[in-house]
Amino acid sequence: MLIWVCALHCEAKPVIDFYRLKKSHDDNAFDLYRGDNMACIISGIGKLASAAASAWIAARYEDAPSIAWINLGIAGAASCELGSIFALNQVTDADTGQRYYPAPGADSVLPGYACLTLGQPSEDYRENQLYDMEASGFMHSTLRFSSAELTQSIKIVSDNQQHKTGKDRPRISALIHRHIELIDQQANSLLALNQEIATLEIPAECWQQLTAMAHFSQTQKNRLRVLWRYLMNRDLSTEQLFGKIGSCASSKAIIEALEQLSYRESEGL
Amino acid sequence: MVSRVYIEAEIRDHPRAQQLLKRLHKLPVIEIEHFGEVFNPRAQNFRLQKKDPAIIIAAKNQGHVLAAPEGYGLGGDRNYYFSHMLNCIYDCRYCFLQGMYQSAHQLLFVNYEDFGAQIKHIASRHQGQQVWFYSGYDCDSLANEPMTGFTDYFIPLIASVDNAWLELRTKSTQVRSMLKQQPVSRVVTAFSFSDHFSHSKLEHGVPAIARRIDAMRRLLDAGWAVGLRFDPVVYHQHYQTAFVQLLNDIFSEIDPQKLHSVSLGSFRLTRDHFRKVSRLYPEEPLFAQNLDLNNGIVSYPLEREREMIEFCETQLMKHIPQQSYHPCEWHG
Repeated sequence: MLIWVCALHCEAKPVIDFYRLKKSHDDNAFDLYRGDNMACIISGIGKLASAAASAWIAARYEDAPSIAWINLGIAGAASCELGSIFALNQVTDADTGQRYYPAPGADSVLPGYACLTLGQPSEDYRENQLYDMEASGFMHSTLRFSSAELTQSIKIVSDNQQHKTGKDRPRISALIHRHIELIDQQANSLLALNQEIATLEIPAECWQQLTAMAHFSQTQKNRLRVLWRYLMNRDLSTEQLFGKIGSCASSKAIIEALEQLSYRESEGL
Repeated sequence: MVSRVYIEAEIRDHPRAQQLLKRLHKLPVIEIEHFGEVFNPRAQNFRLQKKDPAIIIAAKNQGHVLAAPEGYGLGGDRNYYFSHMLNCIYDCRYCFLQGMYQSAHQLLFVNYEDFGAQIKHIASRHQGQQVWFYSGYDCDSLANEPMTGFTDYFIPLIASVDNAWLELRTKSTQVRSMLKQQPVSRVVTAFSFSDHFSHSKLEHGVPAIARRIDAMRRLLDAGWAVGLRFDPVVYHQHYQTAFVQLLNDIFSEIDPQKLHSVSLGSFRLTRDHFRKVSRLYPEEPLFAQNLDLNNGIVSYPLEREREMIEFCETQLMKHIPQQSYHPCEWHG
């Protein structure tokens, strides 16, 4: 699952169009667009809005085994060229001084840059730092749900000391759209990383089916989860695994059967 | 390989930091205030980070040298350990470091002089006693040697302190800088080995066994003291034949009479480390084996462990003199 968090519709539009995301009509706290294994939420401007939207959508996808995140938006800079694109590698909240370190992967196609998240718009640009209004809120919230490796913030320079895009929405969309292939590459790398973590988790419906087979205490559930996570990642299909415990009459018998299978499977390392 | 550099702003002008930045000039450099900002946060995934680690260049400001845990040592009067690095360039699935730190980044402390001062101070407090300083507890002592210059600083330092002994623990083949120096009898380089099968399954990125045996032989030939560490011995269906094969491979190249010390211990992790590591790698057979919890330590059931250790000891004693053997005592 990949979730895009954008402050403005015009920032999200290139992503919505590229991935053909469909507007979800049953959600009204934030505008939400959905697609296959992907969603895009429009948070509104500011770090609080970004944090709130991220938390809200994370709750909506609580069953997802793992979530990757991209905050996509515009930023100001002292001397970077208009339309330059960066993956943030350091985000500082101007109000609190709190710093976050998103970790664009080794195969990142985008150069890294530091960013200062401000509470109010400012053109008092510092060298070597982008200015935005969402990244720290986004990081603060999403790091509650995912690790820094699965959390990225991509910024496109819309304003600098010479040029201002201001509120020209079509222009903002165009600046972002220019890089949509790079953004897609970055998203695919992140999705691959996320998939590695997601496949280690027991699918929700499988877990429900498993725990419905008998009454498990919490300790037994913990053991069951460990055993199942191991065995489902071996060369055994879910059907085969259920077949191995089909005749077990109790939670204890199920765990014992899975333990014996696990011990046998692991002897060869 | 590392993909980026984090550096503490205050240490940026340190000559060792400057050298590192020169060497890593192609990588993006991100300035930080304190290494804890990057190394300690909870929202990190060790498994994902291990695929793409960064190097953090920092200074250690306290606790440079610490007393070694009870039972740790090779018979010296006093035992201490120190870590100029936290984390390792290799990715051994049994390693406790995976459960120890939130981060897989390689944290390198460049203020060697502060470590050195502490080593001298501790040694002077125990005049007339043999004081051991162990390196390689939280990292591989030599694996990053071309970058860290660790031995260039610490070996002459130990040589200058009469009652100080140093153990370097490694799985690497990075012995070139040691070969350029005059051997110091109070410096022991201990090479860790697992059998070929365990090596292929569990020691990701670790140089081939033959290359490490060769590095060991070159050090011995040059007059350096060398040790062997079979720790952890990992259970698998063919561990007995594999262990015998490993011993044959080693002792066909290495004269056992010349070894400083040999130790042996089976796979074990503290309960907390085991819990964390097995969550990170749920598909790993090593953690799915029949294991027991004894006194806060997760390890093989006592009977299996005894059988493994007895077998390996018996085989080992066919090659080495008894006095060079130091079993890993961890049952308390």
